[in-house]
Amino acid sequence: MAYPSQLGFQDAASPVMEELIHFHDHTLMIVFLISSLVLYIITAMVSTKLTNKYILDSQEIEIVWTILPAIILIMIALPSLRILYLMDEINDPHLTIKAMGHQWYWSYEYTDYEDLTFDSYMIQTQDLTPGQYRLLETDHRMVVPMESPIRVLVSAEDVLHSWAVPALGVKMDAVPGRLNQTAFIVSRPGVYYGQCSEICGANHSFMPIVVEAVPLEHFETWSSLMLEEA
Amino acid sequence: MSSGTDTEKAKPFKLLGILDVQNTPCARESVLYGSAGAIVAGLGHFLATSRVKRSFDFGVGGFLLTTLGTWMLCRYQNAKLRIQQRMMQEGMKNKLTFEGTEMDPTRKSDGSNKNSHGSNS
Repeated sequence: MAYPSQLGFQDAASPVMEELIHFHDHTLMIVFLISSLVLYIITAMVSTKLTNKYILDSQEIEIVWTILPAIILIMIALPSLRILYLMDEINDPHLTIKAMGHQWYWSYEYTDYEDLTFDSYMIQTQDLTPGQYRLLETDHRMVVPMESPIRVLVSAEDVLHSWAVPALGVKMDAVPGRLNQTAFIVSRPGVYYGQCSEICGANHSFMPIVVEAVPLEHFETWSSLMLEEA
Repeated sequence: MSSGTDTEKAKPFKLLGILDVQNTPCARESVLYGSAGAIVAGLGHFLATSRVKRSFDFGVGGFLLTTLGTWMLCRYQNAKLRIQQRMMQEGMKNKLTFEGTEMDPTRKSDGSNKNSHGSNS
């Protein structure tokens, strides 16, 4: 999960996020090489005693600085498009969950088999128990079975929200009157945190998302317990 | 909280403040080979021509090309390994799930009721 002063991504918990991190590393290496080249050129230009007041054009350098950026952009675009289409693949989900954004909480509906619906409010700071995370914990988590394709239908009841879980590589806008679909597979059991990612009023920062991935048997136990409580 | 565990990431050292060479796969190897390529190209050009500034240019060019080449090769091999790893995991999971059933991936499709271990049903 996130830690203070973090700059990079959280550890990946889904195959898509792993691919996104690999693509980011690839692009960052290209950025690093370009930055090194530019830094060197600036140093060389600043430190040279040579001047040329009469240069008008140079076809060679023009060709180089046209072709080279095109090649670099192709090297970035091809892996990018690959991941884009990978994320759009039809994956035959085992479970469909509706995540509805409200001011200022999320509600989740598991209606594939039974009618299981619950709200997920942030736990206030004064109610946290030792070990819990400030502004991230919720009273009810969205529990999903691990290693199963999950489809999430995201919408909102009032204003724009956005359902995001960085560790899973998922972000989808919650638009009133519209159903947006996203999907993910959680590779390993754990608890993954996210926060509302579209400004939605005074408590926009206080409606977090918590996804708990558990083995299938535990998910079945949890859903039975939740149905009994309802 | 224990310190020095195997699961702790090394404190990140970022080249130019952006590239985490310790925690990015293939980055450290690429930069080291790139540095070696820079030295070889730059020194080689200088020894051949005695031109200092031009040798530095060749050194930087050598660094860029060697780093990029090593990076692409290492990432390609890394990607192949990850795909093989995923296929193996999937295969092991399928074998555990379907062992003894009709969908057993190791079952020979010879039209008989025998399984892959040859025992009669």
